[in-house]
Amino acid sequence: MASFNARITMPAEAKAGDIVEIRVLVRHPMDRGGQVDAEGRVVPRKILNRLTVIYAGEPVFRYDMHTGVSANPFVSFTTRAVETGDLLFEWREDGGATFTRTARLVVT
Amino acid sequence: MTSASRVVATALLALAGAAGAEEIKPGSAFLSPQMQRQQEDEARNPGWLWVEQGEELFSRRDGVAPTCASCHADPKRSLRGAAARYPQVDAAGGKLINLEGRIEQCRVERQKQPAFGYESQELLGLTAYVASLSQGVPLSVSTEGAAKPYYEAGKSFYERRQGQLNLACTQCHDGLVGQKLRGDTISYGIGTGFPAYRLEWNGLGSLHRRLRACSLGVRATQFDYGSDEYLALELYLAVRARGLPVEAPGLRR
Repeated sequence: MASFNARITMPAEAKAGDIVEIRVLVRHPMDRGGQVDAEGRVVPRKILNRLTVIYAGEPVFRYDMHTGVSANPFVSFTTRAVETGDLLFEWREDGGATFTRTARLVVT
Repeated sequence: MTSASRVVATALLALAGAAGAEEIKPGSAFLSPQMQRQQEDEARNPGWLWVEQGEELFSRRDGVAPTCASCHADPKRSLRGAAARYPQVDAAGGKLINLEGRIEQCRVERQKQPAFGYESQELLGLTAYVASLSQGVPLSVSTEGAAKPYYEAGKSFYERRQGQLNLACTQCHDGLVGQKLRGDTISYGIGTGFPAYRLEWNGLGSLHRRLRACSLGVRATQFDYGSDEYLALELYLAVRARGLPVEAPGLRR
């Protein structure tokens, strides 16, 4: 698998109280598993099963993903700009691995 | 229907057919408006994930070898339009090569690194990155001099019936454009969006991967990635698409 890669698109700046749209595209095969490999073993499921976004100390968005979600999933959501700070994105993969990214929002 | 109105209808159909044959449209023109918007939106087109990977590789140092960026400084300017001139005949080797071939050649001969291999994620990433630098630049390949025999070979490939279904490219991609083939709409067979993210593949793929799918579709011989047959065909398709802008990374069904 190619390295994990996320494209987070959102405005860099917003006025306090504004609604900002955040768009997230990640690179992941989202392998639903179940295939039989060359040795006859069943390939386990390996998908990103959860994305959580924390902003200003509070979880603002959570997305539970299941096997019906396509490879390289895209999701967009909105939140209200309250203070200047980082949005912390955390993906949880089957098997326990996690990937994190941050994106800064400057509130004027 | 009266015979008079039937004549009018036939004439209109003939007119529509003639207009369609003259103006060649890129593959994206056959997508739904939603998918066209998704292709243009860098936040939503997954092809840009590969472009990002390519951009990273472009300035990554492998051992002592120079990076791509060591020679191609300021690629946004220096490589703009480069993809629109491929495939072209390599001056040193005298053979036709496409963008993938040129990148591999640079890697092996100038950087002295092992080749990535056709259709590897790394080569797809680099190709998508370099092609994306030419977005909007009209295709302007050369068919003069050493490229002429390749162009002729590509043209005859395009027009030759092949495979168990005994179909030539031209029968669908000129004769039946706009009609349905299973769930998809037949296009002019223009490769300006490649390397493209195909929903069917769940990933990015090269034009040669797409051509192999077409060959399989008519139950014909599938040629290798980077084979002379597909390179010549790629050149002919690029000539057909002359003047159309590079769209890579495209989004296709």
